[in-house]
Amino acid sequence: MIFNTWDYYLLFLLPAAILFRVSRQSIRPWIIVLSGGLFFLYFSYTQLGGAIGAACLLIFLWESFISRFYKPASWFCWLGVVQTTLFLVVFKYRNFLSSLIWPVSSQNPLYWRNAFLPLGISFFTFEFLHYAWDRYRDKTETGTLGEYMAFILFFPTMVAGPIKRYQDFLPKLRGISSDWVLDVQRGFTRILAGLAKKFAVADLLTAYTNHLNVQDIAHAQRAVLPLWLLAYGIKIYADFSAYSDIAIGSARIFGIKVPENFDWPYFQLNIAEFWRHWHISLSSWLMDYVYVPLGGSRVPMPRIYMNILVTMFISGLWHGAGLNFVVWGLLHGLMLAAHRWWRHRSGAIPSTAFPARAFSWLLTFVAVNLAWAFFCMDIRTALYFFRRLLVG
Amino acid sequence: MSRFAWCQNLLEYLAGEKDAPPPGFPVALSNFTFWGIWWGILAAIIFIFAGQSSKFIYIDF
Repeated sequence: MIFNTWDYYLLFLLPAAILFRVSRQSIRPWIIVLSGGLFFLYFSYTQLGGAIGAACLLIFLWESFISRFYKPASWFCWLGVVQTTLFLVVFKYRNFLSSLIWPVSSQNPLYWRNAFLPLGISFFTFEFLHYAWDRYRDKTETGTLGEYMAFILFFPTMVAGPIKRYQDFLPKLRGISSDWVLDVQRGFTRILAGLAKKFAVADLLTAYTNHLNVQDIAHAQRAVLPLWLLAYGIKIYADFSAYSDIAIGSARIFGIKVPENFDWPYFQLNIAEFWRHWHISLSSWLMDYVYVPLGGSRVPMPRIYMNILVTMFISGLWHGAGLNFVVWGLLHGLMLAAHRWWRHRSGAIPSTAFPARAFSWLLTFVAVNLAWAFFCMDIRTALYFFRRLLVG
Repeated sequence: MSRFAWCQNLLEYLAGEKDAPPPGFPVALSNFTFWGIWWGILAAIIFIFAGQSSKFIYIDF
């Protein structure tokens, strides 16, 4: 919820943004830290893990402390990478990974019965990892303690991104836009547009996407099945882009521009372009911190395919602790590798003729939307969906 | 600019993403009447469709 509650706007966004705007530059980071800390405590306590969830604020405090030791080529940076990865594994993947060994939860010694996810853990951990890695490579400055804490506790982007970069955020924090009328006008418009998209498009489609379960699939007419999946494809775009609109609009009211997350992904003509326009802040993160360190495209072709598959495997696993997400990620990896192979083999510039462009668009759109089946259903249900769709 | 790109730019302008309108679109940011009506339309859509309960998908990730 959060972004569609009055609490978010009246208790956090408006007071914090006004206070931030009227304050001296030296205390602005601390206003973000204070409001972000209260935001985390409030929504963790009321909507997620209760008191234990709220106590996860300690993760931010510990990260703030340890980050002060990050220096270029320092082993503290590696410590930061390892501990952040451990946070993710313990909270998000513990039950999933241990269930691969002990499938029955009652016999699983590592099973965490009341497991919960700290608010925004998938997103803030990626910001922690980016900072540790970029400090190691001397790609970003340290900044002050307040500035780094403001970076990780900036509440408009804390819960679900866009995933920020410190070297991009810091100049904006230090020199916020002075045209507050423009910022408020654009920010407020963006928030309203995001909420309208969420309620009028994404939520409305829930009536169709709720049918994506074994029972309804079994009784449905075949012709309806692709429509349900298409509804999910539109819903997830409307939902997450609406969320990003609200996050970006909220940040704009502070006078801070954060990265865009979507740029018409469903209008792209191939799968590589799709990923350059879908969840851009995550795609670029995976590119910079997984794909390129693996060797990227500077290695022989078989290694490039492997790098693509590994990157998309991690992307799938990041999206959820379940085998269906892994399959979804690998499917996209295979599509990206196939596109790479095709481009390498043909070596030609894509045709600009309308029929060729229309076919490319249709192929990309259909492939992406079919792959959503493994995102919104478990593997068995998704396979059953395709069996019904193709065989009857 | 193609007609398609112009429409994309217009939508981005109306949604608060772009700060400037596409060429030929007459409404500036300073036109408070237009933006007041536009905000009213968006607010009406929100109030008509609100309350369907579903949470944001990516919150759980």
